[in-house]
Amino acid sequence: MAANSPQMQISYYQARQLRRFGLTALVTLFTLLLLSVYLMPFANMMTVSLRDVLAVSKLKEVPLLPEVPSVYNYEGKDYPVFQVTIDSEPKELALVKPGRQVSQFIDPENPDAGFIEWEGNWRQLVQVQKLAPRWENFEEAWTQVRFPLLFRNTLIIAVVGVIGTLLSCICVAYAFARFPIPGKNILFVILISTIILPNQVTLIPTYIFFSEINWTGTWLPLMIPHFFANAYNVFLLRQYFLTLPKELEDAAMVDGAGPLRVLLQVIIPQSWPAIVAVAIFHFVFAWNDFFAPLIYLLGKRDLQPISVGVQVFNARYGSRPDLIQATSLMALVLPVIIFFLAQRFFMRGVVITGVEK
Amino acid sequence: MIKHFRLLIVLTLLVGVLVVTASPVAKAQDRVKIIWFCCLGSGDNPQQQETQLRVVDEFNASQDEIELEIQITVFADADDAFSTLVGAGNAPDVVGPVGFGGSNRFAGQWLDLEPYIEASGMDLATIPENLVESYRTLGEGLTGIPFAIFPGVLFYNVDLFDEAGLNYPPSVAGDPYIMPDGTEVPWDYNTVTEIAKILTVDANGNDATSPDFDPTQIVQWGWVDQYGTLRSEFHTFGANYVVDENGQVHIWDNWRARAQWMWDGVWTHHFIPTNSELNSDLLAGNAFNSGRVGMARTMAWYTCCMNDLTATDTSFDIAVQPAYEGTIYAPIDLDTFRIHKDSKHPEEAFKVLQYLLGEAAGDLLNVYGAFPVRTELQEGWLQAKAEQYPSVTHWEVIPNSAALAPNPHHEEWYPNYNEGQDRFDEFRVLLFSDDGGSMDVNAELDRLESDLQAIVDAGG
Amino acid sequence: MKQSKTRSLLQQQRTWGWIFLSPWIAGFFLFTLFPLMVSLYLSFTDFDIGGKPHWNGLDNWRRLFNDPATSHSLWITLRFGMIMLPVSIIFPLLLAALLNSKYLAGKRVLRVLFYMPYMVPAISGVYIWQSFLNGQTGLLNRILVWAGMSDPPDWLFNATWISPALVVVGLWGVGNAMLTMLAGMQGVPTEMYEAARVDGAGILTRFLRITLPMISPVILYNLVLTIIGLMQYFVLPYALSSQTRVNPELQFINLHLYQTGFLYGHMGYASAIAWFLFAIALLLTIFVLYTSRRWVYYAGG
Repeated sequence: MAANSPQMQISYYQARQLRRFGLTALVTLFTLLLLSVYLMPFANMMTVSLRDVLAVSKLKEVPLLPEVPSVYNYEGKDYPVFQVTIDSEPKELALVKPGRQVSQFIDPENPDAGFIEWEGNWRQLVQVQKLAPRWENFEEAWTQVRFPLLFRNTLIIAVVGVIGTLLSCICVAYAFARFPIPGKNILFVILISTIILPNQVTLIPTYIFFSEINWTGTWLPLMIPHFFANAYNVFLLRQYFLTLPKELEDAAMVDGAGPLRVLLQVIIPQSWPAIVAVAIFHFVFAWNDFFAPLIYLLGKRDLQPISVGVQVFNARYGSRPDLIQATSLMALVLPVIIFFLAQRFFMRGVVITGVEK
Repeated sequence: MIKHFRLLIVLTLLVGVLVVTASPVAKAQDRVKIIWFCCLGSGDNPQQQETQLRVVDEFNASQDEIELEIQITVFADADDAFSTLVGAGNAPDVVGPVGFGGSNRFAGQWLDLEPYIEASGMDLATIPENLVESYRTLGEGLTGIPFAIFPGVLFYNVDLFDEAGLNYPPSVAGDPYIMPDGTEVPWDYNTVTEIAKILTVDANGNDATSPDFDPTQIVQWGWVDQYGTLRSEFHTFGANYVVDENGQVHIWDNWRARAQWMWDGVWTHHFIPTNSELNSDLLAGNAFNSGRVGMARTMAWYTCCMNDLTATDTSFDIAVQPAYEGTIYAPIDLDTFRIHKDSKHPEEAFKVLQYLLGEAAGDLLNVYGAFPVRTELQEGWLQAKAEQYPSVTHWEVIPNSAALAPNPHHEEWYPNYNEGQDRFDEFRVLLFSDDGGSMDVNAELDRLESDLQAIVDAGG
Repeated sequence: MKQSKTRSLLQQQRTWGWIFLSPWIAGFFLFTLFPLMVSLYLSFTDFDIGGKPHWNGLDNWRRLFNDPATSHSLWITLRFGMIMLPVSIIFPLLLAALLNSKYLAGKRVLRVLFYMPYMVPAISGVYIWQSFLNGQTGLLNRILVWAGMSDPPDWLFNATWISPALVVVGLWGVGNAMLTMLAGMQGVPTEMYEAARVDGAGILTRFLRITLPMISPVILYNLVLTIIGLMQYFVLPYALSSQTRVNPELQFINLHLYQTGFLYGHMGYASAIAWFLFAIALLLTIFVLYTSRRWVYYAGG
C-alpha cells in the first residue's frame, strides 16, 4: 500500500470520477428521453389549457401549440391575415370576403385603398399566425370554479383522510405483520376481499346507510370511514413491515419495550418510505375522488371539492376542455409540491436503517 | 412521542364518537325541504346553472313555507346520481328540465299531476290541447305540464354559404331552394346532398365535388345532425312506432333510407363528419359551434349555447328543415319539470312546479333556449333571443316549425326502453366509426331489428 | 412455570394483536358489511331501480350462466388482463430501478415528473387521451405521419386498435406501482450490493439476485392489486364508451355490470354479476397469495 505513489492514486481516482460522470450522463439522458415520451400527453394537457378556443375556429388548421391567427380589424370586425403575392410582390393582407375563385382582401397598411381582388384558392395561402398562450384561461377557471373555496374543501377532506388512513392502517398492518392472531390468514383474505366487490353494487346500500345516519350533505362519509383502515394501504404496509428484520425489535423488547413502543420507536422509523407512499396515495386519491363527493354533497355547492366543481365545464352543450385542463393543472400544483417534499422522508428512512445512498 | 401518540389516538376516538353520536341531526325547522334535481336534460351549462340558482334564491326569499334546494349534476353524471338516489329510496321531489327521452329512462316513476292541477285551479287554457295530451302517457295519468318546446330547425353558417357562393336555405316550409345556376329545386334531402358536398372542403381548398378532393384532410363539412340520436334522425324521413300493436319491432323502409343517406354522407360523399372527426380538435364535439360546418339539423335548444359563434363574428341563421319525398318531418323536443312519485311532500313540490312553470318561466326558458308553450310568453322570448344572436333574421322559423313535428314522438316509450335505446346508439356509433366504413347498412339494420325484437320481448 | 409464562406472553401478544386490529374490525362491521350483505341479498332478487326487490331465488344466477354478453365480457376482461398484467408489473419495476439508480442526476425532480400523470384527475385524463389519440388531429398520429406513416390508425374508433390504445393509456397509470417498488428498493441495504460487487456480480445479476427478492413482498402487493384492478377495469372503457360503446372490444365485465345495473336499472341482476366477478377475483387472489410462499422473501417473516 505504502508503495503506491500519490500520482497513481490521483489518476485512479480521476478515472473513477470520469467513469462515474459518463455513466451519470448516459443514464440521465436516457431517462430524460423516456420522460419526454412519457409526458407527451401531459404536454398536450398544457397546450390545451393555454388554447384560445375561439381562435382555433378562425385558423385553417388546428395548431399544435396555442397559436392564434393574426387579425386585422376593419370596420369593427376582425379578419384573418394571409400571405398573398400580388404583382409578384409578397404581402400580408386581411381576408375580408373569401370566395372559391375570387377573394377580396384589404391591406392593413393601406386600408383606404379599398378591397383588393385576388384570384385563386385562398385556402392554399399561408395564414399568418402567432404564438399566444391564453393565460386568461387560468384566471377564468379560477373564478368560475371558485378555486380558493373548493381548494380549501379538497385540502381539508384530503388531510383529514390522510391522518385517518395513516393512524388506522399502520396499526392494522402492524397487527397483521407481527402478532399471533388466531385465523390471521383468513382475516387477511377477508380484508382483501372487501375491495374485490365492484363498488357499483355497494354504492346504493352505502348511500342508504349514510343517509340513514344523516351524514349525506356533509363531509363525514368522505372522511370518517378512512379512520377504520382500508385493504389497499394495510396490505402495502404489512408487506413492508414483513421485510423489516426482527433483530431490532427483539432488542427493544429485551429492553422492556411494549408493542406500542416497538411500533413507534422501531417499526415506524424504519418504514418511512412506505408510510410516505401511503400518505401520498391517499392524498392523491382524496384529491381526485369524484363520484362519492358528487353523490354525498349533492346540492351543497359550498362543500364540494375541486373534482366535482370542475364539472361545470363539462356541460352537455359546449364543454370547455381548455378550462378543465387549466383547473386540473392548478389543482395539481399542491400534490406535486407535497410529493417533491415528501421525498426527503424517503431518504430519511434509508438513513435510519443504516444504509447510505 | 408515545405520550403524543396516545393522546392522538384518544383524540381521534373521541372525535369519532362525537361525530357518530352527534351526527348532524336535521335542524328543527318549519320549512318543508323540497329538492329540485337537475340535469337529466338541459340545465348544466354555466349560464343555466347561474340562472337556476338565482331562481331558487328568489323562490326561497318569496315565502316561508318551503325551502327549495337545487341539486345540479352535469348531464354526463346525472343519470348515475339520479339512479343512486332513487335506488336508495331518497328520490328528489322536482326533476327537470327533462324531455321525453330523459323521463322515459325512468318510466313509471312520475307523479300523476291531475289531482294537484284541479286542487290548485291551475289554468291550462293557453296551452294547446294536443301538447297536454302528449304528457298523458303509459296509463299513469298526466305526468307533466307542457312548458318548453324545442321545434326542429336547421341552423346554417351564413359565412360558409357566402364563401361557397351558395344561396341560403328557405325559411318557409314548401319554398324551393335556388341552386347556384339559378334552377329551382325542392328543398329536400337530395338537394342537401348536392349543396353539402359543395360546403365540404379539404385542406387544399378542393370541395367534395372535385376529383382532387382528399377525404383524409377535410377541414370543413356540409352537414351534421347536431347531438343527434338515431331515432330522431329516422323520424326526419317520417315518424312511426318502433313496436306495433302486435309487439313486432320495425325498422321501417323510410328509416332505412335515412340510415343509407347518412352512411353515404359520411363514407361516400364525406359531407358528414365521422366520429373521429367530430371529436377532433377541429370540431371539438360541438360541430356547428366550431364554425366549420355548413348546416346543422337540430332542435331549438341549441340556441342556448351558440355564443362561440357570436364571439367570433360568425353569422348564422335559421332555416326550415329539408323535406323527404315532399313532406317536412321536423322532430321536436318537449321539456318540462316533473315530480317523482316517491316525493314525501307532493303538495309543496307542486307549488315549486307552479313557480318554475309560472313566475320563473321567462328567465328559465331564455337560458334553456326553449320556446315557451304559453302564448303570452312567446313574444318576450323571441325578443330576448334576437338580442342575443343579432345575425339571425328568421326567428319565425322556430314557432312555425312546431307544426312540422311528426307523430309519434321520436322518444316514444317501448318495453325495455333503456336497453333498446342503447342498441339504437350502438348502430349509430358504428355507422360513424372507422369500422362503419365497410359495413353493410341493410344487414346491420336487420341485425338491429332482430336484436331490438329480443330486447322488447325480454321486457314483456 | 416457564410454559405458563410463555402462554401468558402469547395471550398478551394476542390481545395486543386484537387491539391493533380493532380499527379495521370496527370499520368492517360499521361501514363495509352492511352494503356487502345488501348487494348479496339483491343478487337473489329482481330489484330494478325505482322498484321494490322481490326474491327470485337463483333466477339471476341461471341467467348469468346463459347470458352470452356476460361470458363475452369476461373473456374480454381476462384477455386484456393477460396482456396488461405483466406490463403493469414489469414497466413500473424497470422505471423504479431506473429512478433508483445511483447514476441518475436530478432524481427528486424526475420521480415527481414520472409520478405526475397518476395525479391527473380522471376527467382531464379522458379529455387528454381523446385528444391525444384522435385519428385526425391527435398528437400521436401527427407524430406518426411526420415519421412517415401514411395512414395511421384511428385508435379509438376501430375495433382492432382500441386494445393497443388501452395498453398505451395503461402505461400512464403505473405511478402507484412505481412508487411502492421505489419504496421497497429504499429498504435494500447497500452493503448487499457492495458485497455482490466484490464477488464480481454484474448489474443484471445484482438486480435479479438482490433487488428482486428483496422487493418481492411489494411485487406481491402490486400483483394482487393489479389483478383486482383489472377485474374491475372500468374508468377508461366507461369514458371512451360514450362514443364507442358499439365496440365489443370495450365490453369489459365491470362495464357490462354498470350498464346492467345503472343504465338499464336491473340492479338485482347486476349484483349477481358483481358477486360472480367477486368469486373469480377472490379465487385468483387466494391462488396468488398461496403460491407467493414460494417466491416472496420476508426478512422479518
